[in-house]
Amino acid sequence: MSIESITGRYVTITVEGAPRRIYFEEAGQGRAVVCLHTAGADTRQWRHLMNDAEITANNRLIAFDMPWHGKSFPPEGFETQEYMLTTEAYMETILALIDALDLDRPVLSGCSMGGRIGLQLAALRPEKFSGFIAIEASDFQPAWYDIDWFDRPDAHGGEMGAALVSANISPYAPKAERENTLWMFKQSGPGIFRGDLSFYTRDDSLISRLGDIDTAQTPVHIIVGAYDLTCTPQDAKRTADAIAGATLAVMDELGHFPMSEHPVGFRPFFVDALSKMPSQG
Amino acid sequence: MIEVFRNIQAQLNETPHLLRLGRLFSETVLIEVGQDQIYLTFERGQLVEVIPGPSRKTPWRFAFRTDAEALEKFWQPVPEAKFHDIFGLVTIGRGKIDGDILCLVKNLRFFKEVMALARPAREVAA
Repeated sequence: MSIESITGRYVTITVEGAPRRIYFEEAGQGRAVVCLHTAGADTRQWRHLMNDAEITANNRLIAFDMPWHGKSFPPEGFETQEYMLTTEAYMETILALIDALDLDRPVLSGCSMGGRIGLQLAALRPEKFSGFIAIEASDFQPAWYDIDWFDRPDAHGGEMGAALVSANISPYAPKAERENTLWMFKQSGPGIFRGDLSFYTRDDSLISRLGDIDTAQTPVHIIVGAYDLTCTPQDAKRTADAIAGATLAVMDELGHFPMSEHPVGFRPFFVDALSKMPSQG
Repeated sequence: MIEVFRNIQAQLNETPHLLRLGRLFSETVLIEVGQDQIYLTFERGQLVEVIPGPSRKTPWRFAFRTDAEALEKFWQPVPEAKFHDIFGLVTIGRGKIDGDILCLVKNLRFFKEVMALARPAREVAA
């Protein structure tokens, strides 16, 4: 038997004028790296890296469940609200969490919508961070599907969402991790994947802000998997090209959830990304 | 091509988890591969008929249209990117879905796993 080094706790922050009880996990010491999960999922996507002793020897990895996700409850009154994530609320949540944990200019590492909001913060609030790792992230993709499919009373949105996003997982991914990755989508609350996708597929405000990102102050490294149908290597390259000084790595054998679907395959790319970030905030 | 789907039929009927997954799925699906048309009729998850087309008398709920080369790549043990999923084929213009797409989405895992039954399991490196 071995007990993992990941610890989980709760902190209450204020977002949109109301309290949010946030579940967060951390492991390691040294440079703080805040890790953001994808749409429809939670902190478990980061567990492999958080259990990597070499990485956590010098990096304090911190992951948290967004409100409505994982073990972070929705706010009071959610039962009559339609969940729709916005760029503003997403940024406010991340910044409030960083303040609550008293983190001094952490690296921000986000995947998919987490990478997208990372690039928004790189443009709008760079002073709060030391660098950005944007995984499966790009300027904008409109949906090639109907996001309303995933919030219906006559079907299980999580099952449908999992079946959809399985298209973004690489066939090189170990079967068990593929299924664990999909399980998180199956567990997500009703309408949550849809509400996340609303942010991801409808808000194109990042496009005009990419030129504002100053990589001399905060480096930006983008990582993308060849098997990702949602954020393709072409999408990531277009985005990297629009950010002066941004770097890009393409992972030939990975998909949209690399840290979760294929942690062994993703590890060297993440280690390389960390090496491009300032050693301390 | 129809032989591949007959093999899928035999495999599906020996795959209990898929039969359970498709237990509410009783529909006919049109598969079009180049000029070939094949009608797959499911009853409570079982593939009860694999019938060659064309047929003007066979109603179908949704259709998946592709070409033989794309399907051959789709069925590789480790397909190349874009050929690894039916939606990948759609994104590169090598696949097209018509009809009641919501019906497909409600049964998406079932249909995708049925289609992938013709894909041999990849050997896991030691």
